[in-house]
Amino acid sequence: MTKTTKGISRRRVLKGAGAMAGLAAFGAPHIAGAQAKVIKIGLPTILSGRVAILGTSSRFAVQLAFNQINEAGGINGRKFEVVDRDSKGRPDEAAKVTRDLINNDGCDIIVDGEASSGSFAVHEVVRDLGILCLHTCSETSSLTADPKQFSKNVFRCARQGIHDAVAGGSYAAKIAKEKGLKKWATCSPDYAYGRDNTAEFLQYAKVFEPSIEVVDQLWPKLFAPDYTESITKLMQVKPQAVYSALWGGDLVAFIEQSNLYRLFQNTAYFSGGLGDPPILTAIKNLPQGLNTAYRYNNGFPSSPENTAFCDAYVKVAPHEPTNWAWQNYAASQFIIEALRRTNGNTDSSALAKEISGMTVKKPFGGAGITMRDSDHTIINYPVAWGKTVSKSPWVVDYVDTEWSKIVELEKEWKKEKGYA
Amino acid sequence: MMKAGFLRDLLFAAAVLIVLIVVPFIFTKPSLRDFLIYVMAYGLLAMSLNLLVGLTGLVSFGHAAFFVSGAYMFGLLMQSGRVSIPVAILVTVLGTAVLALVIGAICVRLKEIYFSFITLAFQMFIHSIILTWVSLTGGDQGLRGGIPRPPFFGIDLSSGVSLYIFSACVFVVCILIMRQVWQSPFGYTLRLIRDNPNRANYLGVDIVRMKLGVFILAGAMASVAGILLSLFVSGAYPEFGFWTTSGEAIFMIMLGGSQLFVGPIIGAILLRLIEHFVSIYTEYHGLVLGIVILAIVLGLRQGIADYIVEFLQRRKEARAAPAQDASAKDATFAKERIA
Repeated sequence: MTKTTKGISRRRVLKGAGAMAGLAAFGAPHIAGAQAKVIKIGLPTILSGRVAILGTSSRFAVQLAFNQINEAGGINGRKFEVVDRDSKGRPDEAAKVTRDLINNDGCDIIVDGEASSGSFAVHEVVRDLGILCLHTCSETSSLTADPKQFSKNVFRCARQGIHDAVAGGSYAAKIAKEKGLKKWATCSPDYAYGRDNTAEFLQYAKVFEPSIEVVDQLWPKLFAPDYTESITKLMQVKPQAVYSALWGGDLVAFIEQSNLYRLFQNTAYFSGGLGDPPILTAIKNLPQGLNTAYRYNNGFPSSPENTAFCDAYVKVAPHEPTNWAWQNYAASQFIIEALRRTNGNTDSSALAKEISGMTVKKPFGGAGITMRDSDHTIINYPVAWGKTVSKSPWVVDYVDTEWSKIVELEKEWKKEKGYA
Repeated sequence: MMKAGFLRDLLFAAAVLIVLIVVPFIFTKPSLRDFLIYVMAYGLLAMSLNLLVGLTGLVSFGHAAFFVSGAYMFGLLMQSGRVSIPVAILVTVLGTAVLALVIGAICVRLKEIYFSFITLAFQMFIHSIILTWVSLTGGDQGLRGGIPRPPFFGIDLSSGVSLYIFSACVFVVCILIMRQVWQSPFGYTLRLIRDNPNRANYLGVDIVRMKLGVFILAGAMASVAGILLSLFVSGAYPEFGFWTTSGEAIFMIMLGGSQLFVGPIIGAILLRLIEHFVSIYTEYHGLVLGIVILAIVLGLRQGIADYIVEFLQRRKEARAAPAQDASAKDATFAKERIA
């Protein structure tokens, strides 16, 4: 009898303890020894799967920026801690981990390293919880251009589609005029980004050079391993120039397969996604003279700030900075400067007020990157196009586009879309 | 007998609901609420799929079609601003049931791998529609702009606590409905179809109609899961309807067990717990999940809940060894109950 009573009692205690431990685990932040004064920066991003480099290079940049400020003594005695989480590229997971970062880990600020739909999921969470957030990887224009998405505590520190389209269109038109490239084809991934990006590029290329004629448009599947079908079709159509919105591993596969067919011998190639150093170095035989949008380059803009950023980055990362890296580094500078101005006060409204209209010099120096106060998105970042060469620095002869021209056409585009 | 069983289920459901409601008031961190809403949404998806997999023997690879349909229909209705939340839920569940009727009318006529693949084909078809009908669905960016949650009957789902309690109530009601089906003559007819369709046919059972009935019910329940998730993330995304979401639901069933009624929920809790804690410390969560799958497939050869029930049953039999005749009868009876 006694034995039975003891047994039940022990089981009950164990069950109770187990349940308490399980529940308490959710209630306690996972970072041991976190100090009250530490300012926590939450970073939901994609750290696994095909686009993991987006997240890992973003993480290196954010950690670099906050480690630098920590080494300099922090702000008003407050140090920084970066807490990252993998969303696996799933929007629902992105929403959940963002809520976890805020509610469980006590993050004061969110640097959203999500791409595509994940950024919209994070957007809803931060809008709901009223926390300061900077989107750093989503290039979808509507994220900030659409007034319905506007939130006073949310910003975008990333390039966006419409700016790229104007810059790309302007550059392509100039080359087309110089070399008489009239017959164009496109080869872009078959999903909304691929189609929208291609349509906007062609729209502005035709604005600047009306003689451009599109002879064929190919839409290979996203993440397709084999592009030989599309390449064969391009060889058959014989366009004078090809535009492609392919990116990442897909772009590497496309260029390597195109090399086998010698596609680039008689065809000019324009790419929006080739200019990232890890992509350029992943291609075994990078053809010379391919036209690419600026993603990142250690020699452009040529400034001590850019060199310092690249040098510091390669000390902590196994590759040169990516497009996502500079965007995240710049976002961190906006946060750091805003905190400096508020003396370490993390109130999201106070920080948002400071970030609106702010200009930061890092990582590119010069006139700096400005966070436009009307729609909380950055302008004056590098939107140049250049040509590839087969060795470092991989892309040279960058041609910049005037931001006044971009802003003017962006206004018209907003009117067309009903955003203004 | 049926009434007594229903009363017992009702009392049990009430107890679970009370526990679910009380827990976040004791442990006040919002992250626990978030975790439970997330588990309830995916648990409901896995439970609804198990009506097909565990009860009827129909392994659907495309169940997330109804999950995504629930999320989008509800999200679009709420964004239209013309309906209240209860009406939107009702229309969504009925709409998804009609969708399941159309898809099921074709699918349930096929067997085994052919059934699995045609369900997958329909899911990918719906996924493609979502991606390409950009003006309605937002394409691959998802349903943007948030899902409005106007108050109804004095309930404001904009508040985290209200959303949690609402989700818990909806979850428990759905589980109770599925439990009644699981224990009903309809449920036993489905088991008969699963174990021996020819025998069911000779007994006069209309197999196609029975399968279609459970297919519609499972689809409707999955749409409720989609509604809960869309409310939680305040959006709907094409990833909800990708084949990997169906795969995850199957994995939850494998992990928890398909023969015990609550097995898939246990699987959902375990999977989400593993993901939650592993992803805090490493991005190599796929490796950890792979090892867990291997351990279960090679070690247990069945879901954890099924294994535990069988283990307890064996122990009970061993203890009652002196009265062998009686224990044999008990075991047969218990196995029947589990099935």
